[in-house]
Amino acid sequence: MTGPLVDIKNLRVAFRNDEGGYNEAVRGVSFSLGREKLGIVGESGSGKSLTGRSLLGVLPPYARMSADTLSFDGIDLKTISPRQRRALRGGRMGMILQDPKFSLNPVMTIGRQVVEAIRIGERRLSAAAARQKALEALESVHIREPARVFNLYPHELSGGMGQRVMIAMMVVRAPDLLIADEPTSALDVTVRMQVLSILDELVTQRGMGLIFISHDLNLVSKFCDRVIVMYAGRIVETLDAKHLHDAQHPYTRGLLACLPSIDGSLEPLPVLNRDASWLEAAS
Amino acid sequence: MISVEHLTVNFGPSVAVRDVSFTVAEGESFGLVGESGSGKSTILRTMVGLNRDWTGKISINGADARSAKRRDLARIVQMVFQDPYASLHPRYTIGQQIAEPMKINGIANPDARVGELLDLIGLGAKFQFRFPHELSGGQRQRVAIARALSLSPRILLLDEPTSALDVSIQAEILNLLNRLRKELNLTFVIVSHDLAVISYMCERLMVMRNAEPVETLSREQLRAGEVHNDYSRQLIAAS
Repeated sequence: MTGPLVDIKNLRVAFRNDEGGYNEAVRGVSFSLGREKLGIVGESGSGKSLTGRSLLGVLPPYARMSADTLSFDGIDLKTISPRQRRALRGGRMGMILQDPKFSLNPVMTIGRQVVEAIRIGERRLSAAAARQKALEALESVHIREPARVFNLYPHELSGGMGQRVMIAMMVVRAPDLLIADEPTSALDVTVRMQVLSILDELVTQRGMGLIFISHDLNLVSKFCDRVIVMYAGRIVETLDAKHLHDAQHPYTRGLLACLPSIDGSLEPLPVLNRDASWLEAAS
Repeated sequence: MISVEHLTVNFGPSVAVRDVSFTVAEGESFGLVGESGSGKSTILRTMVGLNRDWTGKISINGADARSAKRRDLARIVQMVFQDPYASLHPRYTIGQQIAEPMKINGIANPDARVGELLDLIGLGAKFQFRFPHELSGGQRQRVAIARALSLSPRILLLDEPTSALDVSIQAEILNLLNRLRKELNLTFVIVSHDLAVISYMCERLMVMRNAEPVETLSREQLRAGEVHNDYSRQLIAAS
C-alpha cells in the first residue's frame, strides 16, 4: 500500500448555538496516519472524540462538518455514498467505545452479538462456522472459557471482560483501522493494563492502524508511537511518545505536571493557567 | 474520631463488606483503595446511614451510627459523591442546593452562609443564582463540596471525588480539599481507585479486595515500598 492510511486536512466540526451562529468544536485539525499507533490526548471538550467520529462518519446529524481532505486508504470519505460508507464501517474501520455496559446489547448473549458482527461481514457463513469463528475471536482476547462466556449476557460479565468482548467484536472483521475512544477509562487500573496489552498484541500482529483517544497522557505515551495533544479544537503539539517529557507547549507540560504521583511532593499541585494565546496556536 | 469495628454489609445473599475494622483520628485523612466491587464505597455509604443491613459497630465522634439521630449525624459527617453531574438537582439553583441542608436543620439566615460558602470554595457568591447545567464538571464538584460543608461538619467522606473530572481539574479540586482540611480542621475518608491520588491526599490507607481488607499502610510505608501483600504490590505496579 502506498500513501498514508488516513489523511485529514483542515477538519472542522461545528454545532449551532442559540444565536443561530455556529460554535466550532474542532477547528482545523490536520494529521495523517500510517499503520501505527497514534494517541490523541486532550481534556473533555477538546474535540478529540469528534475527530475520531468524523473519520468514521458517525457524527450527530445536526453537526456541521467540513474538511479539505478526509481520506481513508485513498478513498475520499467526503464524496462516497452513505452506502459505501456503511460498507467501510465495521468492515475496514472499527470503533471501540468507552463503556462496555452501554455499548453491548443487554438482552442478547455475548455469543449472538459476536456472531452477528461476523455474519454482517460474511453472510454465507454457516451457523456452525460462525460460532467457531466467534469462539476463536473470544479466545484471541484471552477470555479463558470462551464456550461458557458465549452463552452469558453482558450483565454477567465484569467491566474488563465486557471490554475484551467489544475488542473481539471489532477485530473479528480484521479492520485496517481501529479507533478506540477512551477504551479503558471505565476499567480498574489492574484490568486496564491487561486490556491494553491485548489491544496492543492484536494491533501489532495484524498490522492495523490505531487511533487511541484518551485523556490520560501517561497511559497514551506508554502505549502509542506518536501523540497528538489537542486543546480547544486544535492540535497544539505532536510528539514522539518516547519524548513526551520533552514536550514544549505549556499546555502539555501543565497536563504532565498536574498529576499527583505515589512518591511525589506533598506541596499543592501545579494548576493549569490557561493562556488565551493557546486558542490561536498554529496547528 | 471515627471507629469502625468488624463491619459486615450484606446485599441479600452476597457480602459487600466482610469484617472491616479501622480507626481515623481527628484531623487525619484516611484512604480506601481497591477495584470496583471491593466494597470501599459501601463502607462510606454505611457510615452515613445509606445502608440498613449491616452488623458490627460504627462510632463517629463518640456517637453510635446505628442509634444516633440522623440529623445529629448529618451535622458531624457529610458525603461528597463521585459524579457531580448526578449529585446536584438539575432544577435547583446553586444557592438552593447549598441552603437545603441548612433549611432542613433549621439554621437561621442560610442565604448569608451560602455566599460565604461559595467564596470559601473559590466560586464567589454570584454563582448562587445559576443552575447546575451552566457549570463545568469541576465547578459542580466545588458546589457539591460547598453543600457538604453547609452544616459545618467535622468529617467529610469523599467517594472518588475527582475520578469524573479531567486531570487538570483534578489538581484544582485536590488542592481545594487540602486547603479546606487545614483551614477547617476536617477529618477526611477518601475512596479512590487511584493510588497516586491517595498517596498525595492521605496519611494512612487501607487496600481492599473482594469485600475484605488486604492491608493497612502509612503513606511512608507506601512510598518506601514496604508492602507485604502481593495484591497491593500489583496495584502499585499498575499505577
